[in-house]
Amino acid sequence: MGQLFAVEVIYRGVFQKTLAKNITRGIVLAAHNEGKLGISFGRYSDAPERNGIPAKSFAIVANDEETLEAGMAQYEPKQVDVTVVLDDTLCKGAESWAWSGLQPVHRALKPGHTLIVISLDDAPALLKNIHRRKEPYKLGIVRGVTSFSGMWVYKDDHTDVRILGAIAKALPAVMSLESVEKFINEKLKNSLKVTTARNAFERFTTIGVKAGEGNPEEVVKVGLPRWEDMRCGVSIKGQGQGGPFADPVTGEVGGFRPVRNELFTKYSARTQRPVVNFATCTKCTLCWLNCPDGAFDITTAGTYDTNFEACSGCGICEEICPVKNCITMVNEDEFHDNNSQWAAFEKDKGAYLKWLEATIKKADPIKNRSHGFRYRGQYQEQVPEAMEIANKG
Amino acid sequence: MSTFVDEKPTQNLEPFKGVKKVPHEEYYTSGHRTCQGCESAQIMKLMAKAAGPRTIVLGSTGCMYVANTSYYATPWGVPWMHTQLGSSGSSALGAAAAFRVQMRKGVMKDEPINVIAFCGDGGGADMGLGAISATMCHPDYNLLILMYDNESYANTDIQISGASPYGVNTSFSTPGKVKRIMNHRWKKNMAPLMMVGHPTVKYVGTISTSYPLQAMNNVRKALSIGGPTFIHCLNPCPKGWDFDPVLSFELGELAVNTGIWPLYEIENGKLSLYGKTKDIANHKFKRLPVRDYLLKQGRFAHFIEEDIEFFQSKIDEMWDKWLVPGIIPLQREIEAE
Repeated sequence: MGQLFAVEVIYRGVFQKTLAKNITRGIVLAAHNEGKLGISFGRYSDAPERNGIPAKSFAIVANDEETLEAGMAQYEPKQVDVTVVLDDTLCKGAESWAWSGLQPVHRALKPGHTLIVISLDDAPALLKNIHRRKEPYKLGIVRGVTSFSGMWVYKDDHTDVRILGAIAKALPAVMSLESVEKFINEKLKNSLKVTTARNAFERFTTIGVKAGEGNPEEVVKVGLPRWEDMRCGVSIKGQGQGGPFADPVTGEVGGFRPVRNELFTKYSARTQRPVVNFATCTKCTLCWLNCPDGAFDITTAGTYDTNFEACSGCGICEEICPVKNCITMVNEDEFHDNNSQWAAFEKDKGAYLKWLEATIKKADPIKNRSHGFRYRGQYQEQVPEAMEIANKG
Repeated sequence: MSTFVDEKPTQNLEPFKGVKKVPHEEYYTSGHRTCQGCESAQIMKLMAKAAGPRTIVLGSTGCMYVANTSYYATPWGVPWMHTQLGSSGSSALGAAAAFRVQMRKGVMKDEPINVIAFCGDGGGADMGLGAISATMCHPDYNLLILMYDNESYANTDIQISGASPYGVNTSFSTPGKVKRIMNHRWKKNMAPLMMVGHPTVKYVGTISTSYPLQAMNNVRKALSIGGPTFIHCLNPCPKGWDFDPVLSFELGELAVNTGIWPLYEIENGKLSLYGKTKDIANHKFKRLPVRDYLLKQGRFAHFIEEDIEFFQSKIDEMWDKWLVPGIIPLQREIEAE
């Protein structure tokens, strides 16, 4: 038996589906230039994956046909040589299957191997979110803006070839830089992309992450229901009705807190979250009424407190809130828990408002954000800036 | 004179008088794995809230089946059952008939229970059209069929449906170099089809999730009026339409303000336009150019000027030439010439 290599790419559903596919396809075709065989495929889920959800795409490469067949006999690689994370907010964890439970991003990574993350953050900031593990591994950061684009229009900001360059450095056994360059020249026919890939290769470095280093949080484990857990007629129990909201500080009862499905939370889809200024809230109901995820609890004071187990971070609340800066979407990186903002506000209003002011300063202005297509020409405007960051390295 | 129609009473659901009066209870809560900014989930939430606790919901295959029921991912707080892709009509009729029998036999308490079947545009405008049509011909049964329309088979890979707009990019209509416009069909006009084709239906209407209070009140009216009723809801879909989920709400408004999505209800044969649509018809509000709506979506990114102009001309025709502007696509003989 020859050698078998596996690379997994973790990405944000339909926003990065084309990008992930381009990367895994590129690995296989570059390795093919060295006489290796390979296949790229996505994990089965909704087709296409719902936007924002953590999804996986794989490339497996082998020296010979027999080894490749042996590798393909597995449903998906259980152990991978390189894990690529295309959005750094995914470092908080990705779901195993159809959004059930939460897994560390390096779950399948072989000990001592490389985790590649696209980010503008440094390693200590990322390790606040990446869960600790028993075995050491290497962390390599490809400095760049997360590349999001939708189903029909692709944002070609060279992220694909930058990742290919980084993989060639991290795992030369699967493909050399020359093979990557040959693939780009022959298949993508873009000499600029060859330079980008070479730059990424030269700049890519890793740091060692020691055993036990990282986010100490225990990951959420949710078992899937078995047939014997179902009731007559293969039915399951519906959600009950909620009740009054009990204030976390005063103990006062009022407002309303709907029942939340405990077996199914949605937060790992989130790339940004609302930060609410309860002091300026006019209780107009719009955020609550228009939230597709029903993520708001109604507090005793009649304000709306986001439940961060339910919020998927779409940003509609910010868009429709009539009060300036009352709701601001802030990158998910800035947060390390899912605690209630109302509780923090009630506990110490001054401290909360101070925190709020500092936090919303970190938010990107809406015009700079890119979680998909907003207007024609937007990607063309964004690519030069993304390329500049990439070229600075 | 007897009509021989065996009518049963409905729940009398008064309209919610303002957003502050909307009840807090949720019968479609969190715990669904829909996309960020999913307006189809939003209409499910509003529909369940409007209908209240004494309701059963039947859902034909589509996003709102798959994303709401895989494993333990269920948000439903009222009884919900899956039905086949094309059978929202038959399942609603069957459920209403079964309730009637159970109540007559004393198996269950005799009380009005809301029966709602929802379908997507694929399940309603394409596959389920025949069954829905048959159901609309049974005036004895109280039920509502709500079609949530994201203008494609968005659950399976964004394929064209009968409700997809002209020229749109889908998996089945990818623009090519030789032929740019691969979907040259015009969107099916479902609500008027239901009304004109089934004269005894007491309520048919269109709603938009960007006007949540009105949407809920129209659902309440449809459930209270009796007999089979039909509501068509347009739901912007970030995944299939290719836009940043933050735009979900705005695109719903733009669809109305450009005149592409008229809002109206037909109650006992009487048509009334509402919201911005009414202002457009009364010339109090000038329709926004369709360009404002089209260029915010990746699915229309391949449109050239000519395509935008054609789309605009069709919308203009709909408002300037149609016998009932925005609704009934007939022209008077003298005008058609």
